[in-house]
Amino acid sequence: MIRTSKPSAFVLTTLLAAAAPVAAQQIENELVLITPVARTLTDPALAEFAKYAREKWNVNVKTSALAAGTPVAYGRIVEWKGRPEADIFWGGESALFDKLAEQKLLAKLELPKSVVDSIPDSIGKPKPIPLKDPKGYWIGTVLEPYGLVYHPRLYQRLGIEPPKDWDDLLNPKLKGNVAQCAPTRSSSSHATYEVILQRDGDEKGWAWLKRLGGNTGIFTARSRDVPAVVARGEFAAGFAVPSYMAFEDRLAGHDIKFVAPKTAWITPEPIGILAGSKRPRAALAFIEFMLSERGQNMAMERGVFPITPKYRVQGKPGSQAEMAVEFTGGLRSYFDVDVTNIYDDDKAQARYEQVNSQFRKEIESVAEELKRK
Amino acid sequence: MAQTAAIVIRGPRTPASAMIGFGLIWAFLILFVLYPLTRIFYDAFANEAGRLTLANFHEFFTDRYYLRSLWNSLVLGVATVITTSVIGIAVAFLIIRYEFPWRNLFSYLAMLPMILPPLVGVLGFVFILGRAGTVNVLLMDWFGLQTPINFMYGMQGVLLVETLHLFPFMTLSILDSLSKVDPSLEEAAQVMGANGWRRFRDVTLPLTTPGYVSGALLVFIWTFADFVTPLVVGVQDLLAVQAYLNIVQFVDRRIFRMGIVISALLVVLAIVFVLVARHYVAIKDYSSLAYSRVERRRLGPVARWLAVGFLALLMFASLLPQAGVVLAAVGKGWSLTALPVHYTLDHFRQVSLETPRFIVNSLLYSGLAVLICLAIGVPMAWIMARTRTPGRGAMDALTTLILAIPGTAIGIAYIRAFHFPLPGIDVALTSMWIILPLVLAVRRLPYTVRSSYSSLLLVHKSMEEAAENVGAGKLITFRDITAPLVWKGILVGAIFSFIMSIQEASATLFLTLGGWEMIPFGIFTYYIAGSHSQAAALGVILIVLCAASLYVVNRVAGARVGGLFG
Repeated sequence: MIRTSKPSAFVLTTLLAAAAPVAAQQIENELVLITPVARTLTDPALAEFAKYAREKWNVNVKTSALAAGTPVAYGRIVEWKGRPEADIFWGGESALFDKLAEQKLLAKLELPKSVVDSIPDSIGKPKPIPLKDPKGYWIGTVLEPYGLVYHPRLYQRLGIEPPKDWDDLLNPKLKGNVAQCAPTRSSSSHATYEVILQRDGDEKGWAWLKRLGGNTGIFTARSRDVPAVVARGEFAAGFAVPSYMAFEDRLAGHDIKFVAPKTAWITPEPIGILAGSKRPRAALAFIEFMLSERGQNMAMERGVFPITPKYRVQGKPGSQAEMAVEFTGGLRSYFDVDVTNIYDDDKAQARYEQVNSQFRKEIESVAEELKRK
Repeated sequence: MAQTAAIVIRGPRTPASAMIGFGLIWAFLILFVLYPLTRIFYDAFANEAGRLTLANFHEFFTDRYYLRSLWNSLVLGVATVITTSVIGIAVAFLIIRYEFPWRNLFSYLAMLPMILPPLVGVLGFVFILGRAGTVNVLLMDWFGLQTPINFMYGMQGVLLVETLHLFPFMTLSILDSLSKVDPSLEEAAQVMGANGWRRFRDVTLPLTTPGYVSGALLVFIWTFADFVTPLVVGVQDLLAVQAYLNIVQFVDRRIFRMGIVISALLVVLAIVFVLVARHYVAIKDYSSLAYSRVERRRLGPVARWLAVGFLALLMFASLLPQAGVVLAAVGKGWSLTALPVHYTLDHFRQVSLETPRFIVNSLLYSGLAVLICLAIGVPMAWIMARTRTPGRGAMDALTTLILAIPGTAIGIAYIRAFHFPLPGIDVALTSMWIILPLVLAVRRLPYTVRSSYSSLLLVHKSMEEAAENVGAGKLITFRDITAPLVWKGILVGAIFSFIMSIQEASATLFLTLGGWEMIPFGIFTYYIAGSHSQAAALGVILIVLCAASLYVVNRVAGARVGGLFG
């Protein structure tokens, strides 16, 4: 009953929107996100959006964000069963958005065609990464790679060169100095495991991952604990995603750097409106805002990359945008370069649980033995 | 005696109000404990299709990793009980039995480790003792140490944090019983020629056993159910950690279900522990007709300074994390140096926009939770200790269950059990903020019940019976006779409940919606978001708030009974 009534109300409002633009311009005065994206990105995004809403509709939108890792956010949305306590799900892997859409837990996005068309269908070769849902249930907001963070001063102490590719994590001098989050706990870590497995094939891939297990000093509970412990110099390097707080540590004055290996997977940070949302118009307005020049500029100052070829990360010398460029190794837009992607998400999703079981058996439960090797 | 009580309950003198109260307590327990738990147990015994199965448990007991986690949890729990016993008992005896410089100061300081919010506490330890913590950096810079000493990352780190965090619980439990032991009993033993160890073993020890066992149980179960501390130091092969990690990753449904199964198993195990402990406490009749004014012995000069040295060292170690948290809260970009190089108030400024609401929410919800705890818990303790009412065993079993369940599991159980529109108002309980004080009260109810219960055991029934013989009803007897004698114990339980509620960040984690955030939730979201400095800043605020509440309670109690420490 709920599932059918809310979307139809939603359709009704959009119909009204087409018929009477003036009436449609009023948006609701509240908006709640549920998101794995770090506060350094969500806080300014919501603040800027509130400003924009005041200017455009003269509405004071009360915004808030429920911070939750991707799996937790996904789980809560499923548990809400179409009576969501939030309006928007933002961030993570697009495959989970597809899963939610299948369960009818996402509402279709009624975005203007020009906005949707400004975003390319996909990026990367040989395996294209979709940047928007052909069915229209989610759309990408920004681009960011799943790469590596490291602590330059600790690297110096250890007497090794900064890492450039995944394989540099296997350096014997890094024994006990790698931090990682188990793929069973983090979808971004899982994706990076898949990158290795799909790059090297199963047999060699697992051997590689076991060697990494031997170098690992801590398995953290969440993926973003990795940059946190690296930033403090507790550990030297690990997998990380810039907006899942890695850049935040740079902003906080920590000595931490990010590098995206050539085969790093890139996420479009999908966004979607939850079916049954009580504030569908505010939610849609937020998404439109994020895809506007203003929204993209705001995001680019936070260490992530634009979702369309229209913009490039650029700022005055010493600005936060330039700091972001330096942090991520000089790149200004993923549309400037050839993106190599070998990660096949369909393949990864199809064997998600199998990879988890194998990790538990061959790495997690024998971690101590791997360390001794 | 037992029969008299039974007759009183069933007899014509039983006021209707007592029966209604009894009914209300049961309604509360069934609705907010039994019903959500049934949901968890159902999930543990069901497969994805909803059919009942034992396959989940078969998977657990054939999985080497899970079995290792079970073993590790047991070992860690026992180890923590041993370390906290040694420290906690020593502190309790020193404070209550001996006179030495700064005794009062130490008696307050000894409580401070307790108010260390779990997540912030372990972070504080890492700041000081981590691989890049102050101690290791000093060792490396001054003494050329090559590889940092691993204090924190491993079981040793968990044991260290749990010991220094939990010994005050042991001290408090012992203090409460010890201050009621009649010194004349010990004097009698002395006169009869039993001295030193013998007197302790034959007189003091048995008399303080109920307090000790409830303290030990509390420490054991706390350690057993704590997932935050091990997580921060990278220990995952413990049951509570497995339960939490499996539950919070929702994507792999099979692992998720194993989280529920492990939670159910934690519940079952804890029932066993509590039953064993309860049996031990319940078989003897510990009674004392009066609170005792203990004569404190002066320590000789050497012993005096040894005592001061021991306590000072202990306080220094236990207050390390607070120091670490404060430094992290004001340090900017602190890494690989002994102390922060740059200092800033930015983190406080950043959190100050949201903290006023966090503080109000924290005080309101925890305060309400304590009121619910008292309203439900004290009568429950009384029913269990004083009556033969049918069903009190079940009542006890239920509070035991609560003690045992990891907070995360309760959170999940509540979401599953209460996420439907209530008839009449068409709003789900999960959409109303009252669910937070409710879940906090339920989580902390056992502290109130247990401390009231063990206090009641020490008040002799003969006094209540005397009142009843002259015509006072149960309620009046309770108000005029029992309550004045046990209020100290009840107060201790209420403080436990309040401080634990205000620091709770596991059950509430799943239930908090925008606008309801309490301070620990704020700390957790900052931590989850990777902003350790902001988390530390909020942590400092919470520590100050708790220290202030503890101080106020200490003063209030002090005005009437000369301090919590006798």
